[in-house]
Amino acid sequence: MKIVEISHVSRIYKVGDHEQKALDDVSLELENGKTIVILGPSGAGKSTLLNMLGGLDSPTSGTIKIKGKDISTLNADQLAEYRASGVGFIFQAYNLIPTLTVLENVALVKEIAKDPLSSHDMLREVGLGEHMYKFPVELSGGEQQRVSIARALTKNPDILLCDEPTGALDTETGVMVLKLLQSMAREHGKTTIIVTHNQNIAKMADVVVHVKNGKIKEVINNDKPLAVEEVEW
Amino acid sequence: MLFKKLIRTIGRYKAQFISMIIMVALGVGIFLGFNIEWKTLEVNVAKAFEDTGFADYRIVNELGFSEEDLQKVASIDGVDAASRFLSVNVPRKDDEDIVMLTVSENIAVSGFKVLEGTAYDPEDTEGLWISERYAKQNGLSVGDTYTMVYKNIEFSGPIRGLVKSGEYMICLVEKAQMMPDHEKNGFVYVSPAYIKAKIGMTFYPQIHVRSSLPKETMIERAEAALGKSYMIVDKELVTSYSEAHGEMTEGKTMAALLPVIFLAIAILTMITTMHRISISEKTQIGTLKSLGFKDRRILRHYAAYGLFISLCGTILGVAVGLGVGYFFVNPNSVMGDYLDMEHWELHMPLWSIAVVIAINVVLVLATLYSVASMMKGTAAEALQPYAPKAMRRMWIEKKKVWKNLSFATKWNVRDILRHKSRSFMTLFGIVSCMLILIASFGINDTLNSYIDDFFENSICYKTKIVLDTETAGDADVEALIDRYEADWTSSMGIQIGENTYAMEIYGLEHDYFRFVKNHGEHIDLPDDGVLICERIAKKEGLKVGDTFTVSVYGTTEKYELKVADIAKSIAESVMMSDTYAEKLGVQYRVTELFTNETEIEESPIISSTQTKQALLDTFKSFSELMNVMIVMLVFISVLLGIVVLYNLGIMSYAERYRELATLKVVGFKDRHISRILIDQNLWMTILGVLLGIPAGIGVLKILLVMLASDYELTLTISWLTYVIATALTFGVSFIVGVMVSRKNKNIDMVEALKVAE
Repeated sequence: MKIVEISHVSRIYKVGDHEQKALDDVSLELENGKTIVILGPSGAGKSTLLNMLGGLDSPTSGTIKIKGKDISTLNADQLAEYRASGVGFIFQAYNLIPTLTVLENVALVKEIAKDPLSSHDMLREVGLGEHMYKFPVELSGGEQQRVSIARALTKNPDILLCDEPTGALDTETGVMVLKLLQSMAREHGKTTIIVTHNQNIAKMADVVVHVKNGKIKEVINNDKPLAVEEVEW
Repeated sequence: MLFKKLIRTIGRYKAQFISMIIMVALGVGIFLGFNIEWKTLEVNVAKAFEDTGFADYRIVNELGFSEEDLQKVASIDGVDAASRFLSVNVPRKDDEDIVMLTVSENIAVSGFKVLEGTAYDPEDTEGLWISERYAKQNGLSVGDTYTMVYKNIEFSGPIRGLVKSGEYMICLVEKAQMMPDHEKNGFVYVSPAYIKAKIGMTFYPQIHVRSSLPKETMIERAEAALGKSYMIVDKELVTSYSEAHGEMTEGKTMAALLPVIFLAIAILTMITTMHRISISEKTQIGTLKSLGFKDRRILRHYAAYGLFISLCGTILGVAVGLGVGYFFVNPNSVMGDYLDMEHWELHMPLWSIAVVIAINVVLVLATLYSVASMMKGTAAEALQPYAPKAMRRMWIEKKKVWKNLSFATKWNVRDILRHKSRSFMTLFGIVSCMLILIASFGINDTLNSYIDDFFENSICYKTKIVLDTETAGDADVEALIDRYEADWTSSMGIQIGENTYAMEIYGLEHDYFRFVKNHGEHIDLPDDGVLICERIAKKEGLKVGDTFTVSVYGTTEKYELKVADIAKSIAESVMMSDTYAEKLGVQYRVTELFTNETEIEESPIISSTQTKQALLDTFKSFSELMNVMIVMLVFISVLLGIVVLYNLGIMSYAERYRELATLKVVGFKDRHISRILIDQNLWMTILGVLLGIPAGIGVLKILLVMLASDYELTLTISWLTYVIATALTFGVSFIVGVMVSRKNKNIDMVEALKVAE
């Protein structure tokens, strides 16, 4: 089943009088339950594509359908509802709220998600059962990213969107996070889209999308994705 | 190059810079404005008194002084000048206007200044010099004929000049009158020659003296010179002098109280905001340091921000101060109605300029301190972003109730406690706003209650008849009392120790005059004791049941009186029933009648009449003076609330931008995020209102003690005041909350989350 259908999407930013095309007539279809890695150099347009999928930004032209529903024409409130239940975000910088404890950071999405999961269970699943009442600043980078994964999954979304999820972590911690991400996504049956410039991460993907200069250069289906531990880091 | 940075940084933080400039302008403006008010009065009042030879002492003898008496007084060592003086209230012919017909034998003492027309001529037997204010209000010009009637004698003549006099700077014809009525009352000076020509004689019940001798010495020497003890009133007890100086004292008190709040807010806001800006600029400060800029150079650069704000604020503040000063004291203001004087040029105390300079220095130093704290350590350390204090669990988090709170509540509670200085400033702003509103409206309530006590509960007559005590015989007075079914009073000067007061004896059969305690509670005038006013009770340390001795002026009579109760009174007086007076054998002459009749026939024994309504009208002007002040204070406190809360709101918003963006990304709607921000504002407002109410009552108490101890005011705050003050404060908080939270719509989620933590 197709979960994402991107059709002729362009995104043009205006910087003063100058127009900059971040995405140029992009079309792409993605299957449900897969792990997709979007690869490309800096400024290729991969984050812009991820932002469109997450409802953080809207295309200048074209349509984006998630589970058959066009999100490119939604208003601000409808987009917020979509973000509240349809997608879970995992950022490079974790983006946790420093004045909320680990548990509260995760539980806060329960106030807006339609069908959330237990935040306690989720934190235990990501191995943070003992750190629930700590504040983010008391955790390591890897632990903070695990909180971020728990928060994203607690919403029980269809899609997990990960923007350079290991970018701020050392290799060892990064591998642990990816392992957790892969296992959690599989266990909960989520479509996972990871934006990265790290070629190695692509080896664990079912689909690898190469982006350059705002265009999709290549879509490779990987019949034998590797487990995280099988990848040479 | 750094200058360009300065300009661009100002642009970047324009909301904060503008609000800081407004706060400094308000602080400096209110400070200067209030000080300009009393200083302007001080200089111009002194000039008015000097220009017209305002007397330092008045020696009073109802039987009149001879020329010989005058010579004796004039020759006292230490007396600069003396003049026999007459002032009587006289009605205008065929009119209700009452003017004070005045003669000063030596016009250099208690005289006047001619603004228009011809100079005073002591030999002029026809001309009048009339008060300029009264003349203008009544369309009278130099050359017009003006006529008064006194004891059936017409005093008429061409107006020679329009004048002002320190003696009548506050032109009140009646002791219960609080504001002059320039349309109905004025003063007319004539020469001694004029009086002699009209009535064939002169009569002077006062000698006015210009002297710098202390009161005791003056009394001693006058008694020695005149060979008899007379009532000697120093200028402190003359309405024009005491009230004009009272206004200055009130101005000084206000200047010492209100501007302090505004200046404190301005300085604290500046310190808080500059600290926040310094935090935002920390990496830039580190960059400059790592590029090789010396600490001094960087400090100088950032000092320019503080200097820019304080200078802009001060320049605007001076303009605001002049505006506020002019608003309070100009010839067309309510103060201009109260004080009839020629000059109204604004003056500023010199030390206030020093204070303004000191404020600028403090503001720049506050900026430097914030920047210096960001520059500490090596260049590498300075380059590190500012690390806020780590969150710690609070005691409340261990309570069960905490677990049941929504995340938004927890977030807000922690944000308030995490940013203590910002929260304190927000609270301070709200408390100040509420405090000023409660105090301002409270003044109005207290005055209204005062007016109710005296005019609704105390004065029950329609007309007061003032008798001419020189001509009114006992039989004539009895006849008038019968004819108008009147109650009556007799007023005389008394002394308790060294202090001078009035003693009023009342004959009340119809209850046209009643005595009141706090909140209009009636007290009967007893037959075995006296009522004393609160001020006498306080000054003399008297309480109910005490006895005290009074001596009547101009006589050797002394009486032992018992305090039956303490009442409210406009004048400082001892109040006694006629029965008690007769028991004690007090000699008195009826001076005023109170009646419900409104049609009073002219009579040689009636000096003047006054209706209750006319008295009430003068209060309207007094209320206007207060209303002007209240409107201004309300405007300022609302502006203060908006600026402080908006500034802090923007700061809070900027600091939480990333967190707000995160909330938005995970799916919170704009209105939900707005509600979180507005909620925090509302909590602070509730706390601020709760603290602001007692603070406002406290300030009002201080104001009443400092400003209006002469009026025996009882602190009164109506429920409407609480409602309006609370509604205005919440309104301000809500509007600012909405203004800040509207910015949510513009949060750029992508950009906000790109930035590294």
